[in-house]
Amino acid sequence: MPTQTAENPVVTQETAAAPVVLTEVTKRYGRRRGAVAALDGVSLSFGAGTFTAVLGVSGSGKSTLLQCAAGLERPSSGTVRLCGTELSRLSQRRQAVLRRQRVGFVFQDLNLLPELTVAENIALPLRLDHRPAGRTDIELAASRVGLGGDQLRRRSAELSGGQQQRVAIARALITRPDVIFADEPTGALDPHTAVGVLRLLREAADGATVVIVTHDPQVTRFCDRAVFLYAGRVDRVLAEPEPAVVARVLHELGERGRS
Amino acid sequence: MRGWMLAGIRRAPGPLIGTVVSAATAAALSVAALSIAVAHTEAPAGRLAGASVVVAADTTLHVTIGHGDDAHQSLPLAVYRGVPAALAGELARVPGVARATGESGFPGGVVRPGDVDLVAVTAKPGVPAGVLAGRIRAALPGGRGYTVATGAARGDVANLNAAVERSDGQILGAALIPPIVMISLFVLAATTALAVNLRRRRFALLRTVGATRGQVRRAILAELAGCGLAGGLLGWLPGAALGALGVRALAAHQMLPAGSTSWQTPWLLLIAGGVSVLVTVLSGQVAARRASRTAPAQALRETAAERKWPNPVRVLLGLAAAGGAGALVALTFSQKSPAGQLALAFPLLLACMVAVALLGPLLVAAAAWLARPFQAAGGPSARLALAAIAAQPRRTASAVIPVALAVAMVGCVYFVDSSIAHATATQAASTVTADRVISGPSSGPSSGTVAGNGLTDATLRQVRALPGVRAAAGVAPVALAAADPDLEQVNGEAVAGGPLGHVLDLGVTSGHLDALRPGQIAVSRLEAAPGAMGVHVGSRLTVYLPDGTPYRATVSAVYARSLASGDVLIPAAVTAGHTGTAAGFGQLLVSGGNPADVAGLAAGHPGWHVASRAAANAASAQQAAQDGFANNLILGVVAALAAVALVNTLVVATLERRRALRLLGQVGATRSQAAAVFGWQAVFVIVTGLAAGVAAGTVTLLAVTRAATGSLTPYIPLGPAAGLVAAVVVLTAGAVMIPFGAMRRREPSLAG
Repeated sequence: MPTQTAENPVVTQETAAAPVVLTEVTKRYGRRRGAVAALDGVSLSFGAGTFTAVLGVSGSGKSTLLQCAAGLERPSSGTVRLCGTELSRLSQRRQAVLRRQRVGFVFQDLNLLPELTVAENIALPLRLDHRPAGRTDIELAASRVGLGGDQLRRRSAELSGGQQQRVAIARALITRPDVIFADEPTGALDPHTAVGVLRLLREAADGATVVIVTHDPQVTRFCDRAVFLYAGRVDRVLAEPEPAVVARVLHELGERGRS
Repeated sequence: MRGWMLAGIRRAPGPLIGTVVSAATAAALSVAALSIAVAHTEAPAGRLAGASVVVAADTTLHVTIGHGDDAHQSLPLAVYRGVPAALAGELARVPGVARATGESGFPGGVVRPGDVDLVAVTAKPGVPAGVLAGRIRAALPGGRGYTVATGAARGDVANLNAAVERSDGQILGAALIPPIVMISLFVLAATTALAVNLRRRRFALLRTVGATRGQVRRAILAELAGCGLAGGLLGWLPGAALGALGVRALAAHQMLPAGSTSWQTPWLLLIAGGVSVLVTVLSGQVAARRASRTAPAQALRETAAERKWPNPVRVLLGLAAAGGAGALVALTFSQKSPAGQLALAFPLLLACMVAVALLGPLLVAAAAWLARPFQAAGGPSARLALAAIAAQPRRTASAVIPVALAVAMVGCVYFVDSSIAHATATQAASTVTADRVISGPSSGPSSGTVAGNGLTDATLRQVRALPGVRAAAGVAPVALAAADPDLEQVNGEAVAGGPLGHVLDLGVTSGHLDALRPGQIAVSRLEAAPGAMGVHVGSRLTVYLPDGTPYRATVSAVYARSLASGDVLIPAAVTAGHTGTAAGFGQLLVSGGNPADVAGLAAGHPGWHVASRAAANAASAQQAAQDGFANNLILGVVAALAAVALVNTLVVATLERRRALRLLGQVGATRSQAAAVFGWQAVFVIVTGLAAGVAAGTVTLLAVTRAATGSLTPYIPLGPAAGLVAAVVVLTAGAVMIPFGAMRRREPSLAG
């Protein structure tokens, strides 16, 4: 099993063209003595069309990694290249535009605006971008996640958790993004529904680079790669991960934290 | 604006209801005040209904004060200057005039022989009144100095009080608008901040999926504009109704001409909407800006999203406001003139309120620290409540601030009024030092004819001639006009006889007041101060008699006790023939002499009434305490705004704690335990809010009381004070516990 360690980061010449590249990214919260490093010199790249799971015990920095990579948080040091552009060089406004044009998001919950209908939620990134959101575009995006008909006119608050995640995926897909970031997308779902949602994501991604933050080993069934974080650093990377192996690594990391 | 931005209003209006209610209140009160300010106040033409044109000597007093744009000032007169009776004959010769007759006997009419109040002109058939009025103006000797009225304007000439009353009522209506708008901004800033904060995750999500800061800010402002519009629509009709009620009430209190109607026009709808949208959007700027600037990742983390401590800029601004309030207090107390002190009162109250609002979180943290010793007595629920307050002082502050502001505003307005009324009554009860007081048949300022039975100079001479009488003086209230420094009505008394010191205790601070001779005038300390008339003993001063005749006089005395007796004393001799009534007095004040002699004199005149000093003083104290209608109106407006703000903010702030309630249920709290936690928090909000409000209001109250009454002790009647506290307790408890009850029913996790 090919394994890279933190001392051997996965940044090579060929990966510099990848849609998501983090170089020596550090994120500290708080000030001076009380500061906590949520990320500590992380370098990673996510190649075009890859499907990567980022795993780790609670507090290992996986959500911070996703937020820095997506431009939702500004790193304390280091650089993030998203879709070929270094984020620190973009204004807040340009970052927002980049997000709605090239990036899709799926979160654990609170994904949708409850007062909007399913169709309106799906069309949101297009609307924000002042682009026309045609019925057919919306219906197509919805049909890719198995939604359609009356469901599109319902308010998102009326849907089940699994259906809401599908709407979120449809919203993430409607702009045909280069990158999709998902933060615990199955965290609030039962195992059966979770598998369905992940399968959908995998099938519908359609060439987009997907980064999923999770603590669920089962998620890695659908992934090309698993990145393990520990205390804000990349602990190891597994290619073609097996859920059983992933579970063992997570257990190991958990034990390490206790000792 | 795109539809999706407003979907929140249409489909999930819950958090915005408070904003709509506040906006509706602001719109309703603004519309009401405006429809009073521009009320339709035509007085009926009465006896002159048959006249085409009415000609009187100018019914307005024109005075030029100093230089500049506003040097020319005017004031409606309550008494006719009179025109020569011969004018009727001259006007009869104007082409188109059928008949011109001199008319007299109107209230406030002239009493000089050879003069009439006005000339009523009837046009020949086919001559329009407007055309005839033009010819008459051209024909009048000098052309100026006359009021030539046709149509509806005849009513004002037939009833001079109409113009005075109109200006009183309309000025009051207009004066209410700025405070309404300002307080509404305060109220709405708090409500919009809560409404936005309640949904910060929604805006964070929008930012995450690619909305720019500008898009989020515009979405929030569009939503608030929608709320403002809804508020304007809702506030329009109640406001118009309130305005109609207000006009009727003002007319009943002689502050508008009888028969006035409020301004009723479709434009009011536009104005209601405009005011409401403007106030809402302006007050939402801070909230919208803050929501759009929050980093999306930060807002998506539920618990960490709220900062514990306020923004340092807010604290600095709060300290600046507190410092400003301190400086204003020092300035107020160092001001020599009561007028200057009064002018600083409103800015002072505002500075105190801004300081409390901005420093609210720090006040809450301090109060929570002080409350720690008591938590043991309250058990686990109190401990939990206090922990939540100490952990999130900003959140609790948003509930405490409206309580404090309500207490400060309402308390200040009410107790300033009660203190002045009390001081007036106290002065009234001790101003007269005469042994006996003879009152005439009627003693109003413009009471019409006294039918030969009044208290006249002759009566005064008779009384003075009675054996043993040490002093006797006649007093009559008189409404003068003076520049203080703007042309305004000044209430005073015309006095004759003396020595005044034996019958009146006016607290003379400089000069002498034993007798007031023509060419002399006595002025109250309040009016004499710089910033008002700016005079001292020996100064020359011009005041205008009720018919506009100037009276130039030298200040011979300045006195302190002016609340009950008016601000100016002039000799009765100079007012004769200028007051619109027969010369006479309202009261004769007598010291010494035999009571039986005085009673015997009065017995021969029906309508005369002799009272002891105590009885007379008690009667005037009672009269002084009654006239509070304008103050009650202002108090009602302020109380309405304060109550809406309080209930609004507390309801939203309580609903915001749904997650906390759920958590309590999940960890096994019983319903009564959860109720106790919310109850203790309500207690904390009430106590802290009352304390902060009392502190903020007291500073202003003391400054105003000292300025108006010269005493640092405000008069705070127990009943109303208890009523204010009770209202705050009931509103706060209700606004916390009723939403709590609604949430609790929907929270199945709560045991038992």
